[in-house]
Amino acid sequence: MAKIITVAPTRMELIKLRKRVALAQKGHDLLREKMDALILEFFNILNKINAHRSKSVEQLMNAHKALSKCLAVVGTVETIQAMRESKRESKVDVSTRFIMGVQVPIAEAKIERGILERGYSFYNTASAIDRATKEFELALLSLSELAELEAAAYELAHELDKTKRRVNALEFIIIPTIRKNLKFIVMRLDEMERENFTRLKRIKAILEERK
Amino acid sequence: MSYKIAAIGDLDTVVGFGLAGVAQTHVHRNADETVAKLTEIFSDPEIGLVLITHRVSEELKKEIRKLMSEKRHTLLVLRIPDKTGFTPKEDELKEIIKRTVGADIVLNKERS
Repeated sequence: MAKIITVAPTRMELIKLRKRVALAQKGHDLLREKMDALILEFFNILNKINAHRSKSVEQLMNAHKALSKCLAVVGTVETIQAMRESKRESKVDVSTRFIMGVQVPIAEAKIERGILERGYSFYNTASAIDRATKEFELALLSLSELAELEAAAYELAHELDKTKRRVNALEFIIIPTIRKNLKFIVMRLDEMERENFTRLKRIKAILEERK
Repeated sequence: MSYKIAAIGDLDTVVGFGLAGVAQTHVHRNADETVAKLTEIFSDPEIGLVLITHRVSEELKKEIRKLMSEKRHTLLVLRIPDKTGFTPKEDELKEIIKRTVGADIVLNKERS
């Protein structure tokens, strides 16, 4: 880094820089701690996602199986008709909570309609369609939880990225630059002192000679 | 707050989730139509969860990423496998882990 040093070599500046480097160091340590905590939290959530994902996907596959049966038994047109008639009232509750100062969502799916209030006519449909609906409702519940976990992982990863960037900036750019400036000032001040010392010596010698 | 749910994907996925009471559904036929629908869904304040099949999200990767970066906090997006169980090799989440942590150690072992 061949950067031109622009600080004035004064004692004032030295004190200021010393304060700054202490502050930067403190900030760096704190951010590093935060990063460690975030990583811990992040891996926690990743483990949860792994456990949950296989379960959700299995449920979804079961649902698709039931739907395939339904399509075969009831017929494609009738099934699509039933879908059009079905009450579209499934909801998902979304709120947020904070993990390590990061806002992450909480989601919970709610299926409020009862088995008799699904909306399609019972006259034209068979029990296969009820089964398929039930399986898909279960899949929806499971998937909403997975969505919550994944969203949390994304948010945490984003924050982790930001924190890491800050830690690196402090560690590899800001603190070294301040340290270099400090060293420059200390050297310069020492040099000035030595200059002064020899000057005084010289003056003293001249004065002695004159006597 | 209670939000509605949306599902986008192939016919089977849409029919299934439609039966389960998902409010907004869209069958993916061509990219333009789906992108228009996605934009509409993402800007709808009543939607809280969007389910997209992996196949669609692979096809419209760029558009979805752009929408994701501008979405509000209470909108969740989840990619789900379709009837055939299709999931892409390069998982989005895995990519992020690789970038942030520097390696994907634990995850690979457990998944395979």
